[in-house]
Amino acid sequence: MDCMVTGGHVKVLATAIHSLSRIGEDLYLQPQEDELALRTVNSSHSAYACFLFSPPFFQQYSSCKSPTFHCKMAIKCVQAVFRSLSSLEKMVERCRIQLNSEKSRLTFTLHCKHGLLKTHNLSIQDCESLQAVFNKESCANVLRAQPRLLVETVLHFPTSVEEVSVSVSSERVCFRNHVEEEAEQSKAVLTELSLSAKEFEQFTVGCPGRVTFCLKEMRGLLMFAESSGLPVSLHFDEPGRPVILSLTESVLEVNFVLATLSEDSHLCNHFNNSTECHQNPALLPDDFMNDDIDSYLIAMETSELASGGSGCPPTLPRKASMGQLRARASSEGEEEEEEEEEEMRRPPNEKFRSLFFGSMLPTSSQATNQTLRTQEVLASDSENEEEDSSF
Amino acid sequence: MPLSTQSEAGDERYVLVASLDNVRNLSNILKAITFKDHALFNATPNGLKVTVEDSKCLQANAFIQAEIFQEFTIQEDSVSFQVNLTVLLDCLTIFGGSTTPGVTTALRMCYNGYGYPLTLFLEEGGVVTVCKINTEEPEDPIDFEFCSTNVTNKVILQSDSLREAFSELDMTSEILQITMSPSQPYFRLSTFGNSGNAHYDYPKDSDMMELFQCTKTQTNRYKMSLLKPSTKALALSCKVSVRTDTRGFLSLQYLVRNDDGQICFVEYYCCPDEEVEEE
Amino acid sequence: MKFRAKMVDVGCLNHFTRVVNTISKLTKTCTLRLTTDNLFFMLSDKVANGGVSMWCELSQANFFDEFQLEGVSAEANEIYLELQPEYMSRALKTAQNAKSLKIKLTKKHCPCLTVAAELPSVSSVSRLVTHDIPVDVIPRRLWQDFKEPSVPDFDVSIYLPPLKTMKNVVDRMKNLSNQLVVEANRNGEMNLKIETDLVSVSTHFKDLGNPTWSDDASQGQSQGRAPEAMAHARVDIKKLQQLLAGQQVNPSKAMCNIVNKRMLHFILLHEDVSLQYFIPQWPEKRILGYKTPEKHLNSGSVGRKP
Repeated sequence: MDCMVTGGHVKVLATAIHSLSRIGEDLYLQPQEDELALRTVNSSHSAYACFLFSPPFFQQYSSCKSPTFHCKMAIKCVQAVFRSLSSLEKMVERCRIQLNSEKSRLTFTLHCKHGLLKTHNLSIQDCESLQAVFNKESCANVLRAQPRLLVETVLHFPTSVEEVSVSVSSERVCFRNHVEEEAEQSKAVLTELSLSAKEFEQFTVGCPGRVTFCLKEMRGLLMFAESSGLPVSLHFDEPGRPVILSLTESVLEVNFVLATLSEDSHLCNHFNNSTECHQNPALLPDDFMNDDIDSYLIAMETSELASGGSGCPPTLPRKASMGQLRARASSEGEEEEEEEEEEMRRPPNEKFRSLFFGSMLPTSSQATNQTLRTQEVLASDSENEEEDSSF
Repeated sequence: MPLSTQSEAGDERYVLVASLDNVRNLSNILKAITFKDHALFNATPNGLKVTVEDSKCLQANAFIQAEIFQEFTIQEDSVSFQVNLTVLLDCLTIFGGSTTPGVTTALRMCYNGYGYPLTLFLEEGGVVTVCKINTEEPEDPIDFEFCSTNVTNKVILQSDSLREAFSELDMTSEILQITMSPSQPYFRLSTFGNSGNAHYDYPKDSDMMELFQCTKTQTNRYKMSLLKPSTKALALSCKVSVRTDTRGFLSLQYLVRNDDGQICFVEYYCCPDEEVEEE
Repeated sequence: MKFRAKMVDVGCLNHFTRVVNTISKLTKTCTLRLTTDNLFFMLSDKVANGGVSMWCELSQANFFDEFQLEGVSAEANEIYLELQPEYMSRALKTAQNAKSLKIKLTKKHCPCLTVAAELPSVSSVSRLVTHDIPVDVIPRRLWQDFKEPSVPDFDVSIYLPPLKTMKNVVDRMKNLSNQLVVEANRNGEMNLKIETDLVSVSTHFKDLGNPTWSDDASQGQSQGRAPEAMAHARVDIKKLQQLLAGQQVNPSKAMCNIVNKRMLHFILLHEDVSLQYFIPQWPEKRILGYKTPEKHLNSGSVGRKP
C-alpha cells in the first residue's frame, strides 16, 4: 500500500485515529482496492468502530497486491504520529503512508513546513480480519442530527457516567444516565435530557422504546463528528440489538456499533415503570401537591425507610454489572475468536452482548450452540496451558 | 514596618545585593533549569550564574548578567552558595508571577555570606514579603571541558522548530540520537521506541536553520531522561545553538529574551550515552 | 413537607450558581436548611472536616421568582436536607443559559432535590433537562445541631486584603508548608507566615482597617489591646486555601476575626449573601466544655447599629 493525504484531509485522518483510540487498543488496517479500512474493537467486544476512506480521499492511493491483506498495530503508536491535532493543520503539508508487508512495517512520512520531515516506522502484526455484522437499514428507529446537538446532549452527563439510556417516542427523545443497582441509585444523581423531534434532521421512530449503551464510545465518535461537522445518525431498535452511530460523506463512511443492554436488564431498572421519558416532570402540570415527602420523614423518624415507602417493586434479581463484565473480558487478553451475531443463548449474567464478527466463522451448529461462557473458559484454559509449559 | 530601614542600614553587611524591578526577569530563566532541587549560585561582578546538575552527566547553567539587575553590588570577586531551587521559585512567585502589564513584583535579594540565609524582599502593590531561604554548602560544579575549538558540528535553529519535535518525542525510547552531517540527512533527531522508530530531519537550507556548520558526520546518543528537562529552556527561548565536540559531548545554548527585551543565556551540557562508544 | 422554587432571571441564576460553586469547593457534604425567607448552607463543626465549620445565608427573595415551602409543621415551617453541593453545582452548570429553572423537593427512588431547567434549542420546542439529586431529610430531633454560630469573642477583627492577592500568596505557601500563621493587630496590619527547615516566609499587609463592631463587642477582649499587639492563630493551610479558591467574585466586604491561639473566623459579604467560615487552631485540639463568650452578628450586617 502506498497513499498520500494532503491538506485538510491530514487532520481528518488524524482525528479518525484519535477517535478510534477512545474505543480500542489496536488499530486494524485493511487496504483494499476500493477503500482503506481502519477499525478497532474495545476489550470487552461490546463496541466496534470503523472508518472507511474511499480512494478519492487520497491524493494518490494504491492498495496491496494481496486483496485480503490486513494487519494491526497499537493505536497509541499511530496516535503519536499525529500527537497534536491543533498544530497539524498549520504544520503538516502532506502525509504519505507506505506499507511494507515483507518487513512488517508501516511508514508514515509527514512533510511539514520549513522542510521538516518526520518519518515514523511502526511495526505491524498479522491478524485476523475484524468485521462486525450489522445492518443499519434494518433498524426501525433512525435519528439524524447536527453533531452540535449531540455534543451538547452528552455535556449534561459528567464523565463518570458510563452508560446512557435513550428512549424515543414519536415526538421526543430522552437521554438518561443508566444506574445499575438500587443501592447505587440512592446515591447517584439521575439526569434526564429531553429533546424535541424538531431538533433533528431526521426522526423516524418505528419502534418506540429504550436502549442503553456506553457513553464513552459515543463521545469518541462525537469528537470526530464535531471536528468534521458531519451530521450523525443513530440507528437502533429493540434492547439487546446494537446501536449504530454513523456518518457518511462522499469519500468517507464511519460506523460505530455499540452493544446495548438486553431487555431483562431494563426490567431491573425500576424507573421503567414509574416515569417515562415523554412524561418529563417539567411538562406536567403543577406538581407541588404531589411531591409531598412526609412519608420519608416519618419513615426516618421511625427508622423504617428501608422496607421501602418509595414504591419500588419487590426484590429484583441481582445482575453482574457491566463493569465486571468488562474487567473479565479484558483480563483474558487477546481473544480473537469470533462468534455468531445470530441468536445465541447468553449466559445468565451476560448483559452487554459481544458484537462478534461473522466473517471468519464456521457456521456449524456447534458454533451456534456455543455460549459465550464456554468460549471464555476455553480461552482461559489455553492461557493456563501456556503458563504451565513455562515451568 | 521597619523593613526598609532595616535593609538599608544592613546593606554594608551584605556581600551581595541584587535588585530587580521585575522579578520575572529572574524567575523565568530559573524555570528553564529547574529539574533538580539543588542549585549552585555563583555571583561575580559580571553577574549571576546558576548551575543545576543531574547524575554527573548533565549540567544546566543560567546566566543573568549584572546589567539585567537595577542594582548589583558585590563585595568580593566571587560569592557562592547553594539553595533549594524549587523553594526559591515558590518564593520568587509568591504574588502569583502575574503577567498582567503594569503589575510587577520588585525584588531585592541579599546574602550575608557563608552560613547566612539568602534573604529576599518582594513587593507588589504595597504588600511586602520577606523570605529567608537557608543556604547549603556549595559543591563544585563539574567541568565538562567543552571547548569551542573542539567543536565538530554546529547548527543554530529557531526554537519553534525544535519545540514541536521535543514535545512529541517518543518517551518509550531510552535515548535520543542526534545525527549531524555535512550531507544528508544534515540534522536528524531519532528515537527507537517500543513500537518502532521515528526520525525528524531538518534540511540545512530550511528557513528555521540560521546557521549550519557541520564538518564531519557524527551520530551520538543521549539519555532521553537527561535531555527531556531541556524542553523547559526550549519553551522560553527564541533560538538554540546545537553543538557537538570531538568526544560527542553535546552543548545546547538557548537565547532567552526577557520581558524587557534583554537577552540572557541558558546552556545545557550532556555526556553521550556510553554504549554507543562501544559500538 | 413540600418545597418548590423557580428562577427565571439569568443574573440570579449565575449568582446562585457561583454561591453553590463556592460551597462545593469548601465541603463535600453540607446541610441545606430551607425557611420561608432564606436558604442556609451549613457545615457543622465535625472532626471529620478538620473542625472547620461554615454558615452561608441567602435571602430567597433575591434569587427566586416563586418560592413555596411547607415545612414539617406550622410552627416549624422549615426543611433540613443533607446533600452534596458538588452535585448541585454540576446540575446548575449544565443549566447556565436556561430560560427557567425549578428546584423542587421530590419523591423519586429516594428523596431528591430535583433541578429542572428549560433550555433554549434550535427548534421552537425547548430542551428539558432534569437532575434528581439524592438528599437525606434530616429529622426534626437533629435540628438543634445546626444552630447559627455566634461570633466568637475575638482579639482582633480586621478587613482582608484583595482575596486574589491573598490566594496567590497562600497557594505558594502551601507548596512550602502544611501550617500557616495568620496574625493581625488593631492597627490594620495583617501577616501571613510560614516556617520550615528550608525557608521562612512572611507576607505583610498594612492599612487594611479594622471593622467596628456593635455595642456589646466593646466589652470583649479586643478593646483592651494595644493597637500594635498581634493576635495570631496557626491553621491548616489547606483549609484556608479552600476558602480562597472558592471565591470567584470579590465580596463587597471580607473580614477575619482572630481569637488568639484558638481560631480564625472569616466573614465574606456579598450584597445578598453572607458566608462565615471557621478554621480552628492547629492541631485541632477541641477543649471539651470550652465556650467562647459570644458576640452578636446581625445576619451578616456589620457595623455600629444606631
